[in-house]
Amino acid sequence: MNKEIYIEKMHCIDSNTCMKPERNAIYYTARELAERGKDQVPDELLSSTHLIYSSPATLAFNSPGAEGFGVKRAGLAIPDSVMLLVAPGCCGRNTSLVSNMQEYRNRFFFLVMDETDIVTGRHLKKIPAAVGEIINCLKKKPSVVMICITCVDALLGTDMERICRKAEEKAGIPVRPCYMYALTREGRKPPMVHVRQSIYSLLETSVRKGDVVNLLGYFAPLEDDCEIYDFLKVAGVKKVNEISRCRDFEEYKTMAQANFNLVLNPEARYAAADLEKRLQIPFIELKRLYQIEKIENQYRALAQVLGFKWDDTVYKQEAENAIRSFREDFGPLTFAVGECVNADPFELSCALLQYGFRVSEIYGTVSAENFLYIRKIAAASPKTRIYSNLEPAMLYYDCSELPADITIGKDAGYYHTAAPNITWNRDIQPFGYRGVVHLFESLREVLV
Amino acid sequence: MKGLRKYLTPFAPDQSGAVSVLYELGGILVICDAGGCVGNICGFDEPRWTQHASAIFSAGLRDMDAIMGRDEKLIEKLASAAGKVSASFAAVIGTPVPAVIATDYHALKRMTERKVKLPILTLDTNGMELYDRGAEKAYEELVRTFAVERYPVEKGRIGVFGVNPLDQSDLYAGDKMCRILQEKGWKQVNCYGMGAGLEEVRCASAAEKNLVTAPSGLKAAKYLEKKFGTPYEIGYPMCDVWLQEWRNQGVTFAGKKVLILHQQVIACSLRREIETLGAKAVQTATWFMKKQELSGEGDMHLTEEDQLEELMRTGGYDIMIGDSTMWEIGGEMKEKENLQFLHLPHFAVSGEIRS
Repeated sequence: MNKEIYIEKMHCIDSNTCMKPERNAIYYTARELAERGKDQVPDELLSSTHLIYSSPATLAFNSPGAEGFGVKRAGLAIPDSVMLLVAPGCCGRNTSLVSNMQEYRNRFFFLVMDETDIVTGRHLKKIPAAVGEIINCLKKKPSVVMICITCVDALLGTDMERICRKAEEKAGIPVRPCYMYALTREGRKPPMVHVRQSIYSLLETSVRKGDVVNLLGYFAPLEDDCEIYDFLKVAGVKKVNEISRCRDFEEYKTMAQANFNLVLNPEARYAAADLEKRLQIPFIELKRLYQIEKIENQYRALAQVLGFKWDDTVYKQEAENAIRSFREDFGPLTFAVGECVNADPFELSCALLQYGFRVSEIYGTVSAENFLYIRKIAAASPKTRIYSNLEPAMLYYDCSELPADITIGKDAGYYHTAAPNITWNRDIQPFGYRGVVHLFESLREVLV
Repeated sequence: MKGLRKYLTPFAPDQSGAVSVLYELGGILVICDAGGCVGNICGFDEPRWTQHASAIFSAGLRDMDAIMGRDEKLIEKLASAAGKVSASFAAVIGTPVPAVIATDYHALKRMTERKVKLPILTLDTNGMELYDRGAEKAYEELVRTFAVERYPVEKGRIGVFGVNPLDQSDLYAGDKMCRILQEKGWKQVNCYGMGAGLEEVRCASAAEKNLVTAPSGLKAAKYLEKKFGTPYEIGYPMCDVWLQEWRNQGVTFAGKKVLILHQQVIACSLRREIETLGAKAVQTATWFMKKQELSGEGDMHLTEEDQLEELMRTGGYDIMIGDSTMWEIGGEMKEKENLQFLHLPHFAVSGEIRS
């Protein structure tokens, strides 16, 4: 297939540097991608084939811990836990961004490695004593010490499970590993998958209760008014557990009583499978969607599995009304959609197109999973441009070729500085119909 | 315990120091990492990153790249990027991953030069040393690579090594240094790495003198002295600003015992000023490079939190000057009467930039 690269007007990034101006960002249209199919994604959209550009639009990719929940914050999801980062100094450098937040104060500790440690592995012998010293310096004994290790120990093949067991024996409290292995980001068990398994690994077999359910996937709760709580109530569920709502370690442990787990983020699938294997808690996976019809189908299917009927008319109408009134007030706006959002940018773009808006550009990571949406986008808006934030030529991205009326995502806002923007990546998670309602409320807020 | 940090987050690493020197020079900067290091550098240690773009990339290493030592893959990626991005040079900057797999940077440089028609710099930073080591390597590599030609010495032209946001905690440090030196009579001031471009580095031999404002600049200045006979001076001419600030707060130094914690050139320059104000004794301590030629009696090199705790407890100081995040270590010391803590920001320690 002929490679067609559309050329944008030149954009000189910085007159102080020696950048020549005749350079252009590279994109593919939705139609082109759909025609190529998921097996022929162009190299420019595959991060493994090129150097990875670092701009404020890519920070969440390069350093998930710098924004939102990376391994460090996620590893401290267990109430009253503390973390010991065992790594070269550079791996812990940005931790002060997190440790300055009130809820993480006095919860991060570091065992800084030097070159001799790498050669001899002596840092590993220090871990049990370091854990002891940390416990002694804290006013309150922590519930668990998470030992976070990084790429260096990945390459050294460190058996951190064994070291944690030794530390646990000495400290008398649980010590668990969590792996911040950026090297395995695209592997079978990437860091954010692994850490989810780690944080539920302290749950032990308990008497199961038929009216208890866990929501797995996020490190912050769903929005309080999310209809899923009503849905579960109607299904007979009396207690919905989310790790971020557990007030203390005792409450966290009650998550082992759940009748089933609802997995809201695919990165929690592995943790759910582990809980199924260890504690015999089955799981059902749901997707975060913005297409109303799909939300309705998902709830219907879940209700069927749980053996009841759910009337979601009120919630559905509320979401439809939010969309309708927004469109009436602001017209068929043109959106640019980024990937640093609480959404799959392709699914969200599909939804926006279905609701009668235009989507001029998407900045996203193309994968086999989202090709379904790319085909739909191609049918509805074949000229929608798809960029990878990570491609080197994004240095020359110029928004003047195709201005947007409004942008969603911090990355999209970075490119279209003049357009109103919602970052849509708060810790508190949107989901379901109410997620749609809140999306349009947020969009309205930046336009009025 | 050696290496255990209970109060302070790790300081800016060598790779951040290297990037800080090269950031404005229009090169392709490749951080030889899996992504996290570049995120730390850009998202935390390089405050200019949010202000203007630079061609800074992660090599995007994955486990098998490291295990198999696929240098050729990195070179291919770099060659491809060089075809898309205009640049004056390319620099490959090391992290812990190439340190663990013992990447041969000389071989990498030679192999890359065959494929990429740009000057190639390789810096064997490893993420375990501190920012000043990385900056030192970058300054040295920069002058060795580009300052090769001898130009006639221009009277009134001065080169400055050691001005960068990590040291001065100021995004406008380059401009301010230029202004101060111009007020002192210098006609052309080139702050390498912050203000001056690659062309100025190429013409470094035209400088009448070099000024070293941080220990990281010393090796490059010595190299230029040896190669072109350019003399150098060590000092930081901007201490007045802080002294004035403290004077406004009512601080007096006469008869006091003072401890200054910062990088060595700033600490020593400040010491000279404070001594003239009648201080009883002024001692410096640094977490960073401690050069013999700058050290005074009793000056300390710190590596562990315990050392600073001990120093604060037993030193008998009346005034301690340093980045305020370090006072976390002090604990009960903060309650001690008549002991003053004066904040002297150090971006490489706290990530705080002066407004």
